[in-house]
Amino acid sequence: MDEIEAFLTGRIWLRDHTPFQKEDIDTRINDGRIRTIPGITGRQCARCREKDPRLIAEFACSRCGKNCFYCRHCLNMGRVSSCTELITWANPSSSGGHLHSFVWNGTLTAAQQKASDELLASFHKKEDHLIYAVCGAGKTELLFPPIFDALATGKRVCLAAPRTDVVLELAPRLKAAFPDTVIHALYGGAPKEAGFAQLILATTHQLYRFEDAFDVMIVDEADAFPYTADKTLQRAVQKAKKQGAPVAYVTATPSRKLLRSIKNQSHIFRRYHGHPLPEPVYRPLWNYRKAFRKGRVPPKLKSWVEDNAARGRPFLLFLPTVELIDETIPYFQAIHPGIRAVHAEDPDRKENVLKLRRGEIPGLVTSTILERGITIRNVQVAVVGADEAIFTPSALIQIAGRVGRAADCPAGDVVLFHNGISRRMDEVRHLIRSYNKGGAPS
Amino acid sequence: MNCLICDAVTPEPVSWRTLFCRDPTPDVCGRCMGKFERITGPVCPHCGKASDGLCGDCAMWETSGYAGVVSGGRSLYTYNEAMRQFLHRYKFLQDAALAEVFSAELRKALKGEAIVPIPMNDKRLRERTFPQVDRLLDAARLPYRHYLTKRDSVQGKKTREERIAAPVLFTWNGEPVPARVTVVDDLYTTGATMRHAAHVLREAGAEEVRVFALIRG
Ligand SMILES: [Zn+2]
Ligand SMILES: [Zn+2]
Ligand SMILES: [Zn+2]
Ligand SMILES: [Zn+2]
Repeated sequence: MDEIEAFLTGRIWLRDHTPFQKEDIDTRINDGRIRTIPGITGRQCARCREKDPRLIAEFACSRCGKNCFYCRHCLNMGRVSSCTELITWANPSSSGGHLHSFVWNGTLTAAQQKASDELLASFHKKEDHLIYAVCGAGKTELLFPPIFDALATGKRVCLAAPRTDVVLELAPRLKAAFPDTVIHALYGGAPKEAGFAQLILATTHQLYRFEDAFDVMIVDEADAFPYTADKTLQRAVQKAKKQGAPVAYVTATPSRKLLRSIKNQSHIFRRYHGHPLPEPVYRPLWNYRKAFRKGRVPPKLKSWVEDNAARGRPFLLFLPTVELIDETIPYFQAIHPGIRAVHAEDPDRKENVLKLRRGEIPGLVTSTILERGITIRNVQVAVVGADEAIFTPSALIQIAGRVGRAADCPAGDVVLFHNGISRRMDEVRHLIRSYNKGGAPS
Repeated sequence: MNCLICDAVTPEPVSWRTLFCRDPTPDVCGRCMGKFERITGPVCPHCGKASDGLCGDCAMWETSGYAGVVSGGRSLYTYNEAMRQFLHRYKFLQDAALAEVFSAELRKALKGEAIVPIPMNDKRLRERTFPQVDRLLDAARLPYRHYLTKRDSVQGKKTREERIAAPVLFTWNGEPVPARVTVVDDLYTTGATMRHAAHVLREAGAEEVRVFALIRG
C-alpha cells in the first residue's frame, strides 16, 4: 500500500488540498484508483452531508464563471463548493494481516471487566452498545480489550471524542497500550502522520472526512455531542462507519434517547478506586454580578479562592460566560497574581493546564470548555452562577467529575455558588447521591 | 434568523424599518457585532486611523513621490481579534456569505459617492473565487465602477523604502474617470495600495481622490 492509498482509504478529501503531488493524484484519478465526487450535489455537501438551505450558500463564482453553492457547515476544513471535487480511494483493499500487540499492566475492577466483556460480546454480534459509567469509573481502560480484539482481527477502529483536549489526552494512552499499531490522532491543526492507521482517534468534526471507513466505532463522551441540535454530526458517525458496523457510546450522562434506544448496556456507578463521588455543596452568592461590576469578588468566593491558594490545592473556577471571565480576571489576580483565565479559543490553554498540573499556578478561571478530559490530582472545583442555563446537568456532572479521581486523593470540593437553586442543580445532586448508593437513578 | 457569524438564533427583526426601508439589514447578532471596534476620537485625515493629526504612515507618504495624491480618507473599524477572524473566514476560508456583515455600515458611510473598488488580478480572483471588495459593496447595494486593473506582481513583505520605490500596482483601463472618486478597500495596512490607486486615477484625470477602508490595520 503506497502513501496515497494509505491516506485516501476510507477518507473523503478535497482534491486541491491533499498533502501529495498534484501529478501523482491526477495519475491515479486517470487510471481509476482514485474516485472523484462533486463537492455539492443537489444542494447537499458531499463531505458533511449538510443540506439545510441556510448553510448551503450561493455565490457568483469567479473560478467556474457560474453560480456555485458552497457549504458553510464544514467550511473550516477547507471550502467545499459546486466546482470543487472530493476524492477517495476507489477500491479499498482489506487491511488485515498486520500484527498488533497489547501492552497494559493495569487490572480491571470486576465492574470494568464485566462491562468490557459485554462490549466485546456486542461487537462480535455487530450490535450497538452503551457504556454508562460515572466520571472516574475507568472507562478508557475497559475499552482496551475490545479494541485489541477488533484490531487483531483486521478491523479498522475509530474512537471519536467531542473535543481536541480529549483526543490529546487519550492519544498517548492508546499509543502506549498498542505500541505496534499505527494510530493517528486527528483534530483541527493536527500534524499529518504517515501510513495507514488502523486505529483512528478523532474529534467528531474530523469524522466528516471519512466515509465507509470503520468496522467498529466508539463514540466517547457521547452526551457532549448536541445530537439533537446537530444532526449532521450524528450523520457523520453513520457516514464514517461501514454499513452494519457497530457503534459503542460511552458516557457519564446518557440522554433518555440513548438509554431507551440501545438494547445492550453496561452500567458502572462506582469509581475504579471504590470511593464515592464527591457530592456538590450549594452556597448562595446573591447578586454576584453586581459585586463583580463594582470590582469586588464576593467575600464567600474570595475566601474559597484564598483558602485553596494558601493550602496549595489546585482549583478550577467555572464562570458562566467568557465576558464575565474577561471582566473579572483582574480581580482574581488581585487575590493571587498566578491565577490564569482559560478560554475556548485561547492559544495558551494547553500550557496553562500543564502549569496547573505542575503546581506552578494556583488555579484557573474557566468557561465550560474545561469540563471534560482534564485530570488534575487533588483538584478542587467551584461553579459561579451554577443556576445559569449554560450549566446543564451533564456539564455539572462533568465538572463535579473532575474531583477526587486519584486513589490517594479521593475527595475534594465541588461548590456550586448560586443565585437561587435550580432544578438542574437538584437533579445533579440527586443523581450523584443515587450513584453513591450504588443504584441507577430513579 | 440565525447569526451569519456565530449561527446563534436571534428573533426575527421585524420593524417598520425592515418592512419599508430598502436599507440592508444583515443577519448578525448584537453580540458578534459588538466585538468589532469602531474607530473613535480624533483620526488621521488621510487614512482614518486614530491619531492626532496626520499619522506616521501618512506623514511618510507625504514626503515621497506620492505626496498629495490622496485628498483625504476614512476607515470604520480597528483590526482587532474579532476582525482578524472575520477576514480570515471571509477571505481565506472564502465564506462569501459574510459580505453581508457590514452592509448597513458601508451603505451609511459611502452612499452617493463615486466608488472605485480596489481590484484583484485574474489569477488571485480565480483562487479566491469572488472579488472581496466588490461583494462588500454589492451587499451594501452601493453602485461602483472599475477604472483600475491590478498587475500580476506580488506585494510581499517590503521595507518602507521599497514600498515607495515599488512599481505602480495598477494600470488605468482607459474609461473616463469622474473628477471626484472614492477608492474603497477592505483593509488598509501600509497605505501603498491606496497611494498607487490614487496616483493612477489622478493621472487618468481625477481631480480629487479620497480613500475609504472598512478596516484600518
Ligand atoms: Zn459540508
Ligand atoms: Zn464555481
Ligand atoms: Zn452572532
Ligand atoms: Zn494616516
